[in-house]
Amino acid sequence: MAEQLVVDRLTKTFGGIVALNGVELAFSAGELIGLIGPNGSGKTTLLNIVSGYYTADRGQITYENQPIAGTSPHKLARIGIGRSFQVTKVFRRLTVMENMLVSGLSDWSETRSQASERATAILEDLKLTRLRDERASNLSGGQLKLLEFARIMMLQPKLLLLDEPFGGVHPELKRFMYDCIRKWNAAGITIILISHDMGSIFELCRRVVTLSYGDIICDGTPEETRADKGVLEAYLGEHHASA
Amino acid sequence: MSQAALRSIIGAALLVAFVLLPFAGLSDYWTYTVTIGFYYALLAASWSLLVGYVGRISFAQAAMSGLGGYASALGVLEFGLPIGLGLVFAALIAGLVGYVLGWLTLRLHGAYLGLTTIAFGEILRISVTAEHWLTEGSLGLQVPPLIPGGSRLEYYYIFLAITVGCLAAMGLLLRSRIGLFFQSIREDEDGAASLGVAVTTWKCVAFAISSAFAGLAGGLYAHFVQLIAPSMMSLQEMGVILAMAVIGGFHNILYAALGGMLLQVLLEALREVEQWRLVVFGLVTILVLRFAPNGLFGMLSNIFVRRRNSDG
Ligand SMILES: Nc1ncnc2c1ncn2[C@@H]1O[C@H](COP(=O)(O)OP(=O)(O)OP(=O)(O)O)[C@@H](O)[C@H]1O
Ligand SMILES: [Mg+2]
Repeated sequence: MAEQLVVDRLTKTFGGIVALNGVELAFSAGELIGLIGPNGSGKTTLLNIVSGYYTADRGQITYENQPIAGTSPHKLARIGIGRSFQVTKVFRRLTVMENMLVSGLSDWSETRSQASERATAILEDLKLTRLRDERASNLSGGQLKLLEFARIMMLQPKLLLLDEPFGGVHPELKRFMYDCIRKWNAAGITIILISHDMGSIFELCRRVVTLSYGDIICDGTPEETRADKGVLEAYLGEHHASA
Repeated sequence: MSQAALRSIIGAALLVAFVLLPFAGLSDYWTYTVTIGFYYALLAASWSLLVGYVGRISFAQAAMSGLGGYASALGVLEFGLPIGLGLVFAALIAGLVGYVLGWLTLRLHGAYLGLTTIAFGEILRISVTAEHWLTEGSLGLQVPPLIPGGSRLEYYYIFLAITVGCLAAMGLLLRSRIGLFFQSIREDEDGAASLGVAVTTWKCVAFAISSAFAGLAGGLYAHFVQLIAPSMMSLQEMGVILAMAVIGGFHNILYAALGGMLLQVLLEALREVEQWRLVVFGLVTILVLRFAPNGLFGMLSNIFVRRRNSDG
């Protein structure tokens, strides 16, 4: 299978901190990958670079055979890279529907009626129809997470980067989000899922990448990851033997 | 009744009221005062477009208005432009300079953004003051009238028409997808970018549009009062515009415009108390920010809607 996203020797430092240390990864279209690692291991940094929010100090990123390093976030969104944020960035003073329309109408070829038609269908899918005219500030934490999902789906993404989508979400809603993620993945969307919730990662993903101090210390199946000594040590807070 | 329907009815009623106002025995003096009120209404609305919808603060709005005033006056005096084109020139120049200010301040927020716009506005004001050979400096520049020999009433209706036209144009813009982009930027820039909104571009465009309307207002004003001075670009003048928008309600261009009109009328009515007027307005601005963040008109409309809902 052709590789959709290739990250080549990506390095990013913040002052003295090496957030990413020459990371190399390749993802095929349609994969559902878990990205794990202790706090501060570089997960969000990697995602921020791929989605254009940070520029890497060194390294290449190739998406659908195009180099994309240095491309601005909104352009990446338009070519199919959708992302969520660790802390939701919903537009609180806009209604649920308006939140959806921003995402649809940022594509100038889409009319308002086309966008609201698509938005209506997506809201229905995510059980948010009832809230369509509600201000986002009146939504619960879980509903905000769903709205963030819904807005991203308006982009019709081909690659989805989800940063901690299950944070603070109660178990029942989490089940529902699993179903959505599986459904979208089955529809061909590549998904990279960051989560501290090992249960979720191991249940959803067939491939798990583990970062520690900016290095990939494991890239394998959930079984391999669980059995990996390095991963265990990283999570126990010991310095792994990267050198 | 929906809030939108209510808004259009109130808007239409206001329009009719302003059309009929001169027939209600308005003296020449008050006709003049209300005409200046239209200028402030437009200026306050243009400021609220930027601050209330895009969430970008600027203290250069009075400077942009002055820039428009000088651009139109000099366009007419130096290049022999017809006054209509002079006004277009004013809007274009102010829009262009606004775009540059937007671009310069792209990455700035909060205090840094505010301070930079103050510096920018002051640079404009001081340049106009210093280029004495062109602008007559603080002596003031004589400006040809919009309508030679025009009556107060003619000016009143021209200002009314242009203000209403501009407010309508702003309203249409804000209802379009661009208005949605603006608000998404106000709410969360990173979030907006992640959904495909070209944040950088729209931030600059917002500054340009807001400044262009301010420049047009300043041009109109110049050809009405026929004598302009750099003091119209001062920070004190900026403070007045800010108070107008805040007291009216800067989250809505119409409320801000009404605030402009209201304060201009009150400024004239309270002439006897001289500088104390500004102290009072300063206090009212602080109180409104604290207790009625949607402004007086925003508060009124909320009360009205709530009452209707509880009745119905
Ligand atoms: N904008 C920034 N400025 C300075 N340092 C940063 C910045 N972003 C990340 N870092 C640093 O880079 C390292 C990696 O951070 P990152 O946010 O990528 O970790 P993470 O794996 O997402 O952690 P968490 O699980 O806590 O979300 C950390 O040491 C962090 O302090
Ligand atoms: Mg993170």
